[in-house]
Amino acid sequence: MVRFELVVVKRVKPLPRWVIPIIAFVIGTLIATTLLYFLTGGRSNPKILLDGIVNALMTPQLLLKNFALLTIVGVGLLISFKAAVWNIGGEGQFYFAIIAAAWVALFSGLGKIVFVNKFLMLILGLTAAGLWALLASLPRAFLGVDEVPVTLLMNYIAYYIVDYLVFGPWREQQYKYTRTPTLPTESWFINIPGTTLTFELLILTVVALVFAWFLLNYTRVGLMIRVMGSNPHVLRVVGINTYKVIMIALTISGMVVGIAGVSYLASEAHLITIPAETRTPALGYTGILVAWLSMLEIIYVPIAAYIVSILLTAGINIQIAGAGGFSVTNVFIGSILLIYSILVIFSEYKIKIIIKKR
Amino acid sequence: MDFLHLIISATPLILAYYLTSLGHSIVEKSGVLNLAIDGVFVLGVSIAFSQAIYTGNNLLLSLSSSMLVAIVIGLFMTYIVTKFPVSHGAVGLSLMFLCYGLAGVIGVPARILQSTTGESIGYAFSPEGVEWLYSFIAIVVLGIISHFMIEKTKLGAMIRACGEDPLSAEALGVNVMMTRLIAALIGFGLMGLGAGVFELYYSRIWREGHGVGQGWIAFSISLSSGRHPILGILTSIIFGLLYEHRFSIVALGLPREFAEALPFITAILAMVIYMSTPLKRKLAPPKSLGKPFFKEERTI
Repeated sequence: MVRFELVVVKRVKPLPRWVIPIIAFVIGTLIATTLLYFLTGGRSNPKILLDGIVNALMTPQLLLKNFALLTIVGVGLLISFKAAVWNIGGEGQFYFAIIAAAWVALFSGLGKIVFVNKFLMLILGLTAAGLWALLASLPRAFLGVDEVPVTLLMNYIAYYIVDYLVFGPWREQQYKYTRTPTLPTESWFINIPGTTLTFELLILTVVALVFAWFLLNYTRVGLMIRVMGSNPHVLRVVGINTYKVIMIALTISGMVVGIAGVSYLASEAHLITIPAETRTPALGYTGILVAWLSMLEIIYVPIAAYIVSILLTAGINIQIAGAGGFSVTNVFIGSILLIYSILVIFSEYKIKIIIKKR
Repeated sequence: MDFLHLIISATPLILAYYLTSLGHSIVEKSGVLNLAIDGVFVLGVSIAFSQAIYTGNNLLLSLSSSMLVAIVIGLFMTYIVTKFPVSHGAVGLSLMFLCYGLAGVIGVPARILQSTTGESIGYAFSPEGVEWLYSFIAIVVLGIISHFMIEKTKLGAMIRACGEDPLSAEALGVNVMMTRLIAALIGFGLMGLGAGVFELYYSRIWREGHGVGQGWIAFSISLSSGRHPILGILTSIIFGLLYEHRFSIVALGLPREFAEALPFITAILAMVIYMSTPLKRKLAPPKSLGKPFFKEERTI
């Protein structure tokens, strides 16, 4: 009798880093297209889906805003992922930055003073996001509580804090809609004509990339973060407290994500609507996809962000039988991310089929 | 309204939360970190809804479809994270996104059909009836059986061993893959059933995105109870009541959002307490929860 057995074995030499993301993108897109084709009973012609993606690809000026925001969030999450601290709380940090920035613009009395308002929005936004992330890091740092559920559940707490503020004290008084007043135009980021991007967002994206690159490669903190991710025992041996590294990594990560929160408010939204848990652009979650697809390399983050922003825009282009872009985009993102999460091990491992004869 | 009425009106929700959180507890006891729970829940809700529309409100068929789909996803996830050294969190979250999407794509045509026929689905518990009592008896019986299964039977010991230290368990002759698949079969079946109950006996409406976040509430209920089937009854009742009556809580001077955020706050506090006090022995998460189970093979 002949028996086949699948065995996972280590490769002698790992595959080049760009191979797996590309394969995952192709296979994931194929799976998503097939799933959508069969589930809608053939109503979603694969050609329409691919046209939607190609259309998004051909109009780069429309994806720039998502591209920039996703790059910032991706870079932010990457900083904590490098330390093997899995920050799933991007959404919460994003919204805390929005809360602080909205407070500056609407209620501090400084919202109409140019330069001061945007500067303060950024400073306070980043501080709030950083503190929210710091809070999430404490249970992991001191008690060893897994940070994944903690950061994840804190997203929902953040949503409800936003809901509380906007439903109650911050509600606009003119029409009594469940939203804040519109931010004063002096605090809006300035649009680059012909695109969805703003000047400030462009600058902040470059700053975030350069900051993260410099931090991780040329500073003591960056070194500690990278060592924490590869071998925390080394840190203990040389006398560095791992809890400090966890706290620093998550706080910096939250602050960088906060840049995206402030930019989203000042570039696009200009006010907060609730319920936050359904009005979110979910960049905190899609940013995870960006960070993972980048193989945790900063130079690949913009590429991954570009691919994901194509998918986001394509989802809006494609409307199947009333199922909005939200669902279609999620099928694409889910399939690609799933295939990637599985295939990523094959850059270091391969499957061998062993034939056993008895 | 007295307390009994408060309980009766929240019963379908409590039942849905309990089934889902119990399923989640059993899956995580076997060492598989289940971040797909919200996606599976939302997909289960959508399947139950569309089946009820297409089959003329056949409740049994709708519930079993939602269970079946949840089981298929659960077995797939469990197989992948046990066979390959992949991140449980990554696979779980990507499945969550995929399920969110599939739920929309599957549910929307049924919703369009419903808007033309005007058919209503599900079954509402009558306030004078005794369905609520049967539900609670079912909850208690299920809780006791699950507790007995996990603590006293061989299967339960195997499931716990796979969660604590799968490599040693394997060395002692436990088939980790098979044990986790059985746990997933039971756990995801319960989750799918919970989602079906939520849709058919509690909300009875559907629109795109319906149920998003409810899976995380069940997740918090499970974590707050330290994945304990009997304690889970208590946390399900508390958070089910709070969620159902979140608008009445305003009368007590508390904002509605506080009631909505409380399960999440409690879950985080519970995790902290269970890790730092003697309760750790019984209620801390399994030691190998979410860790890759992988026996390195030599290159041949």
